[in-house]
Amino acid sequence: MTEQIVVVGFGPVAARLVDELLPGVRTGHVSLTVIGEENEAAYNRVLIGSVGVGHTSADALALADAAALAADGVDVRLGVGVRRIDRPRQRVLLADGTDVHFDRLVLATGSRPVIPNLTGINPDPARPVLPHGVTALRDLRDAGQLRQAIEGKKRVVVLGGGVLGLEIALAAAEEGATVTVVHNGPFPLGRSIDRGGGSVLSASLRRCGVKVAGNARSTGVEHNGPNGEFSALLLADGSAIDGDLLVLSCGVRPRTELAEGAGLSTGTGILVDHQLKAHHEPHIFAIGDCAEVRCADKACAECRNATGPLGLVGPGWRQAEWLAEHLLLLAGADPAGAEAQAPLPQELPGVIVLKAKGLNLVVAGSNGAEPWDEEALTAGAGNGRERLQVAQWADPEHGRYVKMTTRGGVLEGLVAVGMPRTAAELVGLFERRAELPADRSLMLRLDGPDQLPDAGPLDPNGTVCRCAGVSGTVIRTAVEEGCTNVGEVSKATRAGTGCGGCHDDIKGIIERHFQAAAA
Amino acid sequence: MTKSAATHCPYCALQCAMTLTSTTAPTPATKPGPGPASQAPPLLEVTGRDFPTNRGGLCRKGWTSASLLNHPGRVTEPLLRGADGVHRPIGWDQALALVAEQVKAAQASYGADSVGVFGGGGLTNEKAYLLGKFARVALGTSRIDYNGRFCMSSAAAAGMRAFGVDRGLPFPLADIDDASTILILGSNVAETMPPFVQHLQGARDNGGLIVVDPRRSATAAFTADGGGLHLQPLPGTDLTLLLGISHVVIHEGLSDSVYLRERTSGYDAVARSVNSFWPERVQSLTGVPADLIRETARRLAAGASNGGSYILTGRGVEQHVDGTDTATAAINLSLLLGLPGSARSGYGTLTGQGNGQGGREHGQKADQLPGYRKITDPAARAHVAAVWGVPEESIPGPGLPAVKLLQSLGKPDGVRCLLVHASNIAVAAPDANSVIAGLRSLDFLVVCDFFMSETAAVADLVLPVLQWAEEEGTLTNLEGRVLRRRPAIKPPFGARSELWIMARLAEALEAPSTFSEYPEEVFEELRLASAGGLADYSGISYGMLDRGEAAYWPYPAGSTGTPRLFADSFAHADGRAVMTPVTPRRRASGPGDTSPAAVAGVISGTDSGTRSSGRSMTLITGRLLEHYQSGAQTRRVADLLAARPQATVQIHPAAAAGLGITEGAYVSVANDRGHVLCKAELSTAIRQETVFLPFHFPELESANRLTEAATDPISGMPEFKFNRVHVSLAAAPLDGVDRLPATMEAL
Repeated sequence: MTEQIVVVGFGPVAARLVDELLPGVRTGHVSLTVIGEENEAAYNRVLIGSVGVGHTSADALALADAAALAADGVDVRLGVGVRRIDRPRQRVLLADGTDVHFDRLVLATGSRPVIPNLTGINPDPARPVLPHGVTALRDLRDAGQLRQAIEGKKRVVVLGGGVLGLEIALAAAEEGATVTVVHNGPFPLGRSIDRGGGSVLSASLRRCGVKVAGNARSTGVEHNGPNGEFSALLLADGSAIDGDLLVLSCGVRPRTELAEGAGLSTGTGILVDHQLKAHHEPHIFAIGDCAEVRCADKACAECRNATGPLGLVGPGWRQAEWLAEHLLLLAGADPAGAEAQAPLPQELPGVIVLKAKGLNLVVAGSNGAEPWDEEALTAGAGNGRERLQVAQWADPEHGRYVKMTTRGGVLEGLVAVGMPRTAAELVGLFERRAELPADRSLMLRLDGPDQLPDAGPLDPNGTVCRCAGVSGTVIRTAVEEGCTNVGEVSKATRAGTGCGGCHDDIKGIIERHFQAAAA
Repeated sequence: MTKSAATHCPYCALQCAMTLTSTTAPTPATKPGPGPASQAPPLLEVTGRDFPTNRGGLCRKGWTSASLLNHPGRVTEPLLRGADGVHRPIGWDQALALVAEQVKAAQASYGADSVGVFGGGGLTNEKAYLLGKFARVALGTSRIDYNGRFCMSSAAAAGMRAFGVDRGLPFPLADIDDASTILILGSNVAETMPPFVQHLQGARDNGGLIVVDPRRSATAAFTADGGGLHLQPLPGTDLTLLLGISHVVIHEGLSDSVYLRERTSGYDAVARSVNSFWPERVQSLTGVPADLIRETARRLAAGASNGGSYILTGRGVEQHVDGTDTATAAINLSLLLGLPGSARSGYGTLTGQGNGQGGREHGQKADQLPGYRKITDPAARAHVAAVWGVPEESIPGPGLPAVKLLQSLGKPDGVRCLLVHASNIAVAAPDANSVIAGLRSLDFLVVCDFFMSETAAVADLVLPVLQWAEEEGTLTNLEGRVLRRRPAIKPPFGARSELWIMARLAEALEAPSTFSEYPEEVFEELRLASAGGLADYSGISYGMLDRGEAAYWPYPAGSTGTPRLFADSFAHADGRAVMTPVTPRRRASGPGDTSPAAVAGVISGTDSGTRSSGRSMTLITGRLLEHYQSGAQTRRVADLLAARPQATVQIHPAAAAGLGITEGAYVSVANDRGHVLCKAELSTAIRQETVFLPFHFPELESANRLTEAATDPISGMPEFKFNRVHVSLAAAPLDGVDRLPATMEAL
C-alpha cells in the first residue's frame, strides 16, 4: 500500500525530510508531494547574507534539485501557496485551485522576519509592505537588494544586534560598505551574552569597521530619498542615523497561520508532541522553525523548561531525519517499529557561532552569573546539585574574552571572543556534556604559542635522528672520532639516513664541536 | 648465490631500496633444529640504495631488518601441535599430507566453502596471485580474503567509484616534491615511512603542509614554524571536515569550473550535498576553527593554480565504518579543485603494507580475479578460466570480506579449516578476542610464518616459510611501480616458499591447472592472467625489471607503462571522473550521528562520564616508528624492542589528572569487547577526550581487543579509529614488577 505524504514548505528542513523519504518513494511505499511557495526549490537560507555581500553566489546555495526529485517520482509544486487544510477530508487546498489528498501531512512552513513597529512601515505583520530601501533579508530577492547597495558603496544601517544582523554588518563592512548596527541594550547579542563578552564584542565590531549604536530605541524610518526610498532611521532620543539601505534583523516568528486556520493548537509555534505530531491530530506533523515541541502532558519536565522554537537549522535537520525514519516505518506498515524507534533527543540550548571573517565569537547556554556573584552561583544548588562555577579571562585590549560557566565541571554557558581554538573546543565540550579539565586555563592555552610542538632547547643526550634512533651523544662521539660532515656522520651512525629532517641538527653538532676545538 | 643483492625493504609500501651484503661466509643453518641460544650477529649488512622513493634513506626498521634472518626464535621446521598443546617438529611430507587430509575431510563433511584462506598484503605478487588461484582451483572455495581488507579497502572502493581504477598514488612519488600545498589526512608518515618525509620538504618550505590528525603526530609537528597548518578534529569527524572544506571551495568560487565541466560528472549533487556544511557549523561538529577550514581551502586552491596541490589520505580517515565515503569526500574535494590527472597536482592514498598495492590486484580479495578483475564479471571469469585451463563455471563466486570471513570461523556453514599466510590476525584483526576464539574453534588451522606469531601459537600446524632476503619475486609499491625482490642468502634448511607449499598441496589435492614453485614462471602466468584487466602487467618481465626499467601499471604488452594515470581520461566508459555525494550517516551510536545528544552519548553514554572508577573516552589506534603491523617481526628485533618494549597509552595530562593517572602509571583501557592494561604516556599532543594506543602488541597490550568489528557497507573496512573505551587507573601487574613483553618470554 502506498502512503500519501504531503510536505508544505520547501526550505532547508523540508529538503532534508524529502531527501530522507526518497528511499520510500523509490520502493513505492510512499507517494510524496512537496509544495513550496517560492519559485526555487530549497536553498540554504542560512547563507542569504553571504549572497547579499557577494561572498557566495545564489546558484551555490541549492539544497535540492526539483528536476531530480521529479525524476525520482516526487510531485514537486513550486511557486504555489497553500490556501488551507481540510482536516476532516485530509486534503490540502492550494492557491492555484487544485487540491491534494494526504495520509500524513508535514508542515515545514518555517518562519518570517519580525517587522518592528516603526512609523513609516506598514505594521501588518503577515504581509508587510516594506518601503524602498528597507529589507528583511529573507530570500534571494532581498539578497540582490543588499548586493546592489554594497556595490554602489551605499550606507547600510542594520537594525538589530542579533547574530544575523552582526554577520551581515561585518560582511558588508568587509566589502567596503559603511555600516551601522543599531541595537537596544548596552551591547549586541544582549539576550545571550554577558557584559564582559558583550563589551569585547562591541569593541571588536568597531575594530572591524562597523559602527555600533547601542542603547538605541528606534521609532521610525524616514524616506526622503530621491525616489522616496529610505534615508534615515529615527531614534527615540530624537537623533537619526542616515543611510541608503535599512536591513531589518529583529528575529523571526514561526509561520503558524495555516495551522491556526485548521484549528491546530499553537503557542509561539505549532505545538507538537515528542513525536513531532500536532496535538490531537494523528495525521499532521510539524518540523523546523514553525514547530514548537511542547507535549500535552503537564507533568513533562522536558516541556516545562522548553523555550519555544530555537530558530536554528541544526535542530530542524535532526527533526527532519527523525521524522523521515518515523514516517517510513509507518508507511512500511511497521507500527511496532515506529513505536520502538529511539526517541528524538532533546535539543540543548542553541549554540551561536558568528559567521564572520576576522571576528571569532561563540556563545551558548546561560552566561548571566559572574565569578563573584554568590547569589547567582548558589541558586538552584543543594540536594546533591552542585553550585555553579565561573572561570573568566578578559583581554579587551586584544579583543579576547572567555567565560566558562560550569556545574559539576560541565558547561552550562560559554562565551569566547577572539579565541578560535578555545571556542571550537568549548563548543564540543558543551555539546557532548563532557567535563572540563579542572585547570580551566588549559582551554585558554589552546590558542597560545606554547601549544606549538616542543621547540625547547635540545637535550644533548636526546634523540636527534628519530628515524634511525640515534642520540646526540652517539653523533658527538662520531664527530670526535673524525667525522667532519653530515654524510660521514650518516655513514658512521645512520643518523640522518631516514627522512633527512635532522641534517641541520647534525650540522649544528659538528659545528659546535669544531668551534669548541678552535677555541 | 650473490654476495650482494639489490632489493627492497621487507616492511612498508614505500619499499625503500636497499643493498644486502654478506658479512661473513654465508653459513645459514644446514641442519634442522633451533638456532643458537643467544642472537648471533646479522648475516647480512643492510645499506640504503639510491632510488626515487627513498633516495638512499632507510628507517630503523629497515636498518635492523637483517637481524631476523638468523633469529633464534625462527621457525625452521613444520610444527604440529600435540594433544598437550605443545608444538613439535614433523617432516614436510607428513605436514603436507595432513593438510590435504584435513582439507578433504572438512570439504567432504561441510562442503567446499568450509575451507578458508586468509592472505596478506606482504606477499609478493607471485604469491598473492597463486594464493587466489590455489583457493579457487585447488581448494574450490570462495572463502578467501586478506588483511588488506583492514588496510586499503576503503580507499580502493572510493578510487574505483570515482576514477574507475585504484592505484594508490596515480603518479610517481617524486612528483609531489615541487608541490606548494600538500594536504595529508590521517597519515603519520614521519613514523610509518620516514624516508617519505623528504618529499614533503618543498611544501614545508612553502608553508603549505596541511596535516589533519586528532593527535599532534610527528607528521603534524612538521607544520610548526611556518611549515603549514595542523587541523585537529574530533575522532570520527573527518568526513564532516572534508565537506566543510569543499563547501568553502564552492562558495568562495575556488573550484575549477572548466575541469568540472569537461572531466567530471555528478558535480551538482555534490555541490548540493556540501551546502549544509558551512565552516561555522563544521567547526561545531569537528572542533576545527572555521577560519582554519577556510584557510585550508584557499591554500589548496592557490596551490592548484600555482605550484601544485596534492591531497593524500591514510588509514586514519579510511579505517572507519564510513571510510569509503570519507575517501570519496577527499576525492570530491580534489576533483572540485581539478587536481587528479593534472600535470602538477593530484589525489592519492598512501598504501601501507609492503605489497599492499600488488596484493590487492591479483585475486586475494573475496570478490576479485587477477588484474583487478571482478569475479562476478562473466568476461573476466572467461579470461581467467582460459588462462588457468579450467571450466569457467568451476571458479567460485564472490566470498566473504575479511571481517565476515573471520566471524564465520567454526560456525555452522562457516569455515572449519583455515590457511593463514603473511598475516597475524590474532593481533591485527578487529575485536581480536572474538577472532582468537574463532581460531580456536576451528577443526584445523594452518599458519605459514617464519616466527611463532600469536596466530601461529594457536595453530594446529605451523609451516615455516622464507624471509624477504631469501626469495625471488616482485612487489608493487605505493606508486604502482613494480619492483624486484632478490635473494641475498640461502634460506634455513627446513623453510620453504609458499609457492612450493601451494604446488605440493595442489598435487596432493589432485588440482587441475598448474602450480609452479618458481617465481618467474608464476609471474609469466600472472602477466597472461592480468592482460586486459585494470592492473595489466602483461608488458612487464623480470628481465626488464632487472635492467632497471621503471614499470608502472597498467603496462599492457607493447606499451611503455603508465607512470601517470588520468592525464587524458579516467577509467570509466565516458572517460569522466564520477563525483558521488556523501554525507555523514546516522548510526546507532557513532560519530556520523552529529546530534549533540548522540555525540554526548558516544562520549559519556551509558558509562555516564566520569565515575569514581574512570572515564569514558574515545580510542584511536596507530603505529610507532619502531614497529610494523602486529609487531610479529619488529618485536623480535632487539634494537627496536629496546626502544619500544611495550605499548603505552597516550593520554592528555588534563584527562590523566582527573583520573589520578601519572606518567608511567598502569592504566586500564576497556570496553565490553576486551581489556588492555599498559603504562600511561602523558602528552599534550592528544586531544583531551581521546586516548591513543599503538596496535603492535599482543595479549594485555593488544589494542585490537577493543576495536569493533562493525564494517563499512561498501568496502568491508572495520572501525579501527573510533571506539569507545573506559579508561581508569589500574594496579600494576605482578606486584609492581614490570612484566616482560610477551615476545621476550616467547624467546
